[in-house]
Amino acid sequence: MSTRKRKDKAWYALFTMPLLLVFTTVVIIPFLIGIGYSFVRWDGIPANPKVFVGFGNYAELLNDDRFLTSAWHTIAFTVLALVLVNVLGLLFSLLVTAKLRVSNVARTMFFLPNLIGGLILGYIWQFVFTDAFKYIGQKTGLESVFFNWLIDPQFALLAMVVVFTWQMAGYTMIIYIAGIQGIPDELNEAARVDGANLWHRLTRIVFPLLMPSFTICLFLTLSGAFKIFDVNLSLTKGGPNNATEMFAMNIYNEIFGYGHYGLGQAKAIVFFVIVAAVTLTQVIITKKREVQY
Amino acid sequence: MKKVKKVSILLTATAMVGLLAACGSSTDGNKESGSPAASGTSSAAPEKLKKISLFQSKVEIAESLEALAKTYKKETGNDVEVWGSAGDAYATQLQAKLAAGEGPTIFSVATGAEADKFKSYYADLSGEPFAKDIAKDMALTDGGKVVGVPYGVEGFGLVYNKSLVDPKDVTDLASFTKTLEKVKADGKNGFSLSQEAYFLIGHIINTPFALQADPQDFIAKLNKGEVKMADTKEFQEFAKFMEAIKANSPNPMEVKYDTQMGDFATGKTAMVHQGNWSYGMLKDYGDLGFDVGMMGLPLAGNDKIAVGVASNWVVNGKADADQIKAAKGFLNWMLTSDSGKNAIVNEFKFIPAMTNIEAANLDPLSQTVYEATKNGQTIPWALNYFPQGIIVNDLAPATQAFFLDKKMTGEQFLKNLDAAWAKGAK
Amino acid sequence: MKTMSRTVGNVLLVLLSLAFLSPIYLMLVNSFKDRAELYRNALALPSSFSFQYYAKAMEKMGFLTAFGNSLFVTVISVVFVVVLASMTAWMLVRTDDRLSRIIFLVFVSTMLIPFQTLMMPLMQVMDWIRSNLHIPMLNTHGGLIYMNIGFHASMAVFLYHGFIKSVPVALEEAATLDGCSKFGVFWRIVFPMLKTISITVAILDVIAMWNDYLLPSLTLSDKGLRTIPLSTFYFFGEFTIQWNLAMAGLTLTIIPVVIFYVFAQKYIIKGIAAGAVK
Repeated sequence: MSTRKRKDKAWYALFTMPLLLVFTTVVIIPFLIGIGYSFVRWDGIPANPKVFVGFGNYAELLNDDRFLTSAWHTIAFTVLALVLVNVLGLLFSLLVTAKLRVSNVARTMFFLPNLIGGLILGYIWQFVFTDAFKYIGQKTGLESVFFNWLIDPQFALLAMVVVFTWQMAGYTMIIYIAGIQGIPDELNEAARVDGANLWHRLTRIVFPLLMPSFTICLFLTLSGAFKIFDVNLSLTKGGPNNATEMFAMNIYNEIFGYGHYGLGQAKAIVFFVIVAAVTLTQVIITKKREVQY
Repeated sequence: MKKVKKVSILLTATAMVGLLAACGSSTDGNKESGSPAASGTSSAAPEKLKKISLFQSKVEIAESLEALAKTYKKETGNDVEVWGSAGDAYATQLQAKLAAGEGPTIFSVATGAEADKFKSYYADLSGEPFAKDIAKDMALTDGGKVVGVPYGVEGFGLVYNKSLVDPKDVTDLASFTKTLEKVKADGKNGFSLSQEAYFLIGHIINTPFALQADPQDFIAKLNKGEVKMADTKEFQEFAKFMEAIKANSPNPMEVKYDTQMGDFATGKTAMVHQGNWSYGMLKDYGDLGFDVGMMGLPLAGNDKIAVGVASNWVVNGKADADQIKAAKGFLNWMLTSDSGKNAIVNEFKFIPAMTNIEAANLDPLSQTVYEATKNGQTIPWALNYFPQGIIVNDLAPATQAFFLDKKMTGEQFLKNLDAAWAKGAK
Repeated sequence: MKTMSRTVGNVLLVLLSLAFLSPIYLMLVNSFKDRAELYRNALALPSSFSFQYYAKAMEKMGFLTAFGNSLFVTVISVVFVVVLASMTAWMLVRTDDRLSRIIFLVFVSTMLIPFQTLMMPLMQVMDWIRSNLHIPMLNTHGGLIYMNIGFHASMAVFLYHGFIKSVPVALEEAATLDGCSKFGVFWRIVFPMLKTISITVAILDVIAMWNDYLLPSLTLSDKGLRTIPLSTFYFFGEFTIQWNLAMAGLTLTIIPVVIFYVFAQKYIIKGIAAGAVK
């Protein structure tokens, strides 16, 4: 028995060690080093001195209004994005599974934004918000809605939500489609025969059975929204007047803009602890709900 | 059972730590050797030098540099690998590569805070043949040693459409404002800033700084909070200029550099606050149908354009001795050989900051900058001495707030700038 | 009445997807305009559809070399991620003890770390490996592949973990009784059953790695090693962007993944389906 156990251990190590080794050297160790840096004052240049300041950086970030404001932006952004991405993704998935003639094409089109990555996405959207919106506003007279969103603090944040949603909705759509296809047709049919209307069928049958899809989608959207950086940098650069500066960008500016390496790392650690607490709670809660069905 | 588990965790952990700590003390002799190489390599020497790498921030010259590296290889047989990076990302990538001990042999740094940041890396270039040819006060120095060679000089000020504006009509705040109103009455736009941090505030605020008796000293005092912009005459007038701009020109928050220069090129805007680099953009519009000029921002009697060195070549003193030697050899070749000098003037299109290189084929804006430099009719780039990152991170947001809030006065704006400065200089 | 609502539904769906694609429209039309034309109207169709900017972009980017580099790095990285992550996730699921749960939670929670904060320490670790173990991690494709595996491990383990739970254990037990080693069980029985999720992971990682700019920009320096996104840097100037070349370059970058996605679409849908419905 004990040789068997030992053998199992060996297999366990053999199967997991290669990935764990790579993962540890690439992610875990740098992260731990980062924690170490959060206790020093340093400008990020290897040749320059690092001064140990204990929890000084952590104390400082509590008085950093701009960091706290960016935290608030990130939360507002994440909540809005989370709702919009998932509502839209779910809606798309219901539409394209409705057996319409154009479903297949639509499915491809909704997913297409995912294939475009990086900074240039934000630049393209600048054209949409500056040129296209202005044009629509002038043509339709709805200038209170269609104007350059990027110069209004509130609307600029919404613009970020729109772009993020544009990218992520198709992604979550695919996961929801998968979930919907996994629901046996008989269930829906039976309910229909019993006289349940569409709303009842959705809320009583479809949504409960989609719980696993919700877990995955919510986690992916949440982690994506909390970490958002590229679009932030290329679409608004955090402006106007810092109204759209998110967590990740604030940290980046602290580290590379001001050269406050330690303070930036301290912010990152605090950020990580908060986000991890929130998301892991979310995963655990939704996982528990899954079990009930 | 439980114990076995714990032990195995511990073992794994120890193994990892051990793995990492085992050779922690040994260092790579190669990359740490910081001793400067024997200098004075003659550019014409047919000696085979070690392959070096070059990393720099100005994307516009990337291809010409690659071509120059090929010429260098043909003429001397030595290799230079030219790396590339997109605009904004350069400083971050440089920092990461240096942290990785993978730093380039030659790299560029912006004058001022950035040059300060990386100064522990610079090799001493004082003894090199080209050092004596650097124009007066243009070299990047550290404690009396020459450590960097300027790319060239650049200048900015009011770029104007000669058929719409006569410089004689723009000499002070009153006449500047009058010109704006006059052009506006003609259905055109008198002046425009654009939304990018440097074009929005960084460059235009340089003038009141440069007009101080000792700009560097003023900045130092500002950093310590001993002076305030709000209490300084030139800044009070600067605020009035900004009020006039806000009242008479389009909201810069709605204007991108692309649209700013497009409006200027098509004659819709009479003046923009820009530099000689903007001619590269105007060129894309073909024949403009008017002449372009550049003059100083007429603030507190100023009639000079601001001229300075934006970037410098430096040699990585942490590279190995052979590479440092090769890097110096390349810089000597680039700055003193005919092929090198030709590339600087005709391919990079720089306004040279070297006494041994003659400017040639300059566009009208660069010509103005070049002449002003020769005649000493310039004000300095005080913004080079601003605290690191302050323009983008602090001054720009404050300026955005000024342009977005129609009711904000220039006076309030100055106070906000003071507050932003206090934060950014921390 | 029913056909009527069908038609309305179809029309609505078409309109919705067109609105959804408007940014892509902007990308395409502006890859055909020069600066003056772009300035006049960014929204209009171009005055001529000449592919000169595409040709120029391809030439400047050294497209073929870059394409080869991207393909090499992406394919090898993805193969490693699929193999290593599936093995790891399988062990974590089948050995349901505290260690496994902790490892899984660590994988999941690291998905929340913004890459920007890992950059500098990561470079230092790579430098350490290079100096002390004499393995060239930087400025090599191998190093980039190694780091790609590390950064994409979490997501892959997360997806596999959910999926493997739904694979019946009975088959594995039967095979074990027949004298199959763990290795044999995994490769002969389990891995084939993971086909759809493997393809899903592959597709998601291909998209992410193909488009990645930041990590390759830190690790690759030499021109000959550049991936496609890295090669577009020529178009992003100090003050402005050469829009036509940048848009053409972006279009060229995504065409291969679009083709790849269209072919793989049916798998991606099946794959995530299987993963989501555990």
